[in-house]
Amino acid sequence: MAVMAVHQFAQCITCHVWSPDQSMVALCPNNNEVHIYRLVEDKWEKVYVLQKHDQVVSGIDWSARSNKIVTASHDRNSYVWNLERSEWVPTLVILRLNRAALCVQWSPKENKFAVGSGAKTVCICYYEQENNWWVSKLIRKRHDSSVTSVSWHPENILLATTSTDGKCRVFSTFIKGVDAKDSKKGTSADSKFGELIVQLDLSSSWTFGVKWSPSGNTLAYVGHNSMIYFVDDVGPSPLAQNVVFRDLPLRDVLFVSEKKVIGVGFDCNPMVFAADERGIWSFVRYLGERKAVSSGSRYGSQFSEAFGKFYGQSKHGVNNDAVETSRTRGTVHENCINGIMPLRDHGTIIRRFSTSGLDGRIVVWDLENEQDLLE
Amino acid sequence: MADAEGFVEADNAEAIITRIEHKSRKIETLLKQYKPVEALKTALEGTYAIIGDERCKSAHWIVVHRAIMAIKDVDGMLSSLDPEYYDILMKYLYRGLATGDRPTCDQFLRIHEKLTEKAGHGCILRFLTDTVNTV
Repeated sequence: MAVMAVHQFAQCITCHVWSPDQSMVALCPNNNEVHIYRLVEDKWEKVYVLQKHDQVVSGIDWSARSNKIVTASHDRNSYVWNLERSEWVPTLVILRLNRAALCVQWSPKENKFAVGSGAKTVCICYYEQENNWWVSKLIRKRHDSSVTSVSWHPENILLATTSTDGKCRVFSTFIKGVDAKDSKKGTSADSKFGELIVQLDLSSSWTFGVKWSPSGNTLAYVGHNSMIYFVDDVGPSPLAQNVVFRDLPLRDVLFVSEKKVIGVGFDCNPMVFAADERGIWSFVRYLGERKAVSSGSRYGSQFSEAFGKFYGQSKHGVNNDAVETSRTRGTVHENCINGIMPLRDHGTIIRRFSTSGLDGRIVVWDLENEQDLLE
Repeated sequence: MADAEGFVEADNAEAIITRIEHKSRKIETLLKQYKPVEALKTALEGTYAIIGDERCKSAHWIVVHRAIMAIKDVDGMLSSLDPEYYDILMKYLYRGLATGDRPTCDQFLRIHEKLTEKAGHGCILRFLTDTVNTV
């Protein structure tokens, strides 16, 4: 079984992230606070509560080297939290947004962070030493709708975004004085701040959960139409692949290696996608075990009742006893999974990761015993 | 500029109607030979290539509707239909259900149930979310 641990932290979790040494987990229990838990003798103890936001915290990221937490919230602001003598001290970052901030991520070098927002803009924030202040620079007028997810390329310049306008875009975030001009790096370092490198118009509906592969060669994101997209050669002539799957749409993805992706979402059960030797991506299988669907309903999901009514009507009510309310989902998560975070052991291949969702649980998964999924 | 485009489109529409008529004759032949599944495949083939304006959509819908109504063995049809046609079939099933016509709805709902079992909820979601390639 791939599940290592399950813990119910709250009624509902909007986002979660692990501390650099993975001894602590920070999560937002669907309110304006961030709770940090530490595992003490097999028990999760709440050690810190970060209270500063006025509205729901929609994104958290914890930088690996500098040990700083950045949070983004529907109150349109971000805070950078720094641990000073066992106390998390917040610094306000004025994002200059007129809509909610939706997602946040530290850049790989941790000198910048990106915030996606409902204001059709992306904020790139960096620290100004002389003013002791985080500055927010906006990428405006590029998105036609809310920015649902952001992802940094390992080289620290390119940023990928997904949006509810159905597109996936890649921008340059080069900031003079923050990023070193490296002539050898070629195209990416030559672009100006906010320059659109590529716009991918593959989905007919909302897009979510964009991620770069560990090398930065492949980009993956999902559409609300139960499709996942893989893009190679991100640049002037990208190579895109669509993979259709039979169940409910995904919300977030994670590259566990260059050729393997875990997708999580409304189906409550992580899905594994893999590329073969020719680089063709396909759905492999579900990670969690799917219990047999209860005999009361032929549709083992939250739709069972509605579907029963839908078909029952055509049979003039004959089949109505078969329609029962069934809440069997047969999975570890009982509601939509909205986030997946890696747990790094060592090296670039990720064996363990955690998922959190609207059911308030965090589940830790391990691929160790999944022989067919290990290269 | 707009006039020129409109002209090209109208011209194109005539060509599409001709192709749909050709398709319709082929389907009638297949139905006479008791090959309803073959007829349905022919009906669904290359839909997006020949979908143009509303007139083309209606013409094509009549052809597809004819083929779907001729299906008797739903399980047999679905097992021999290539999965790549599931999404487009689902779109036409919803178009049929939207007509509210009793015999059409009975037949389409029967197929909808089996197709959902086979193609999953993802198939329905792709119909719901696709606002560009409508049938």
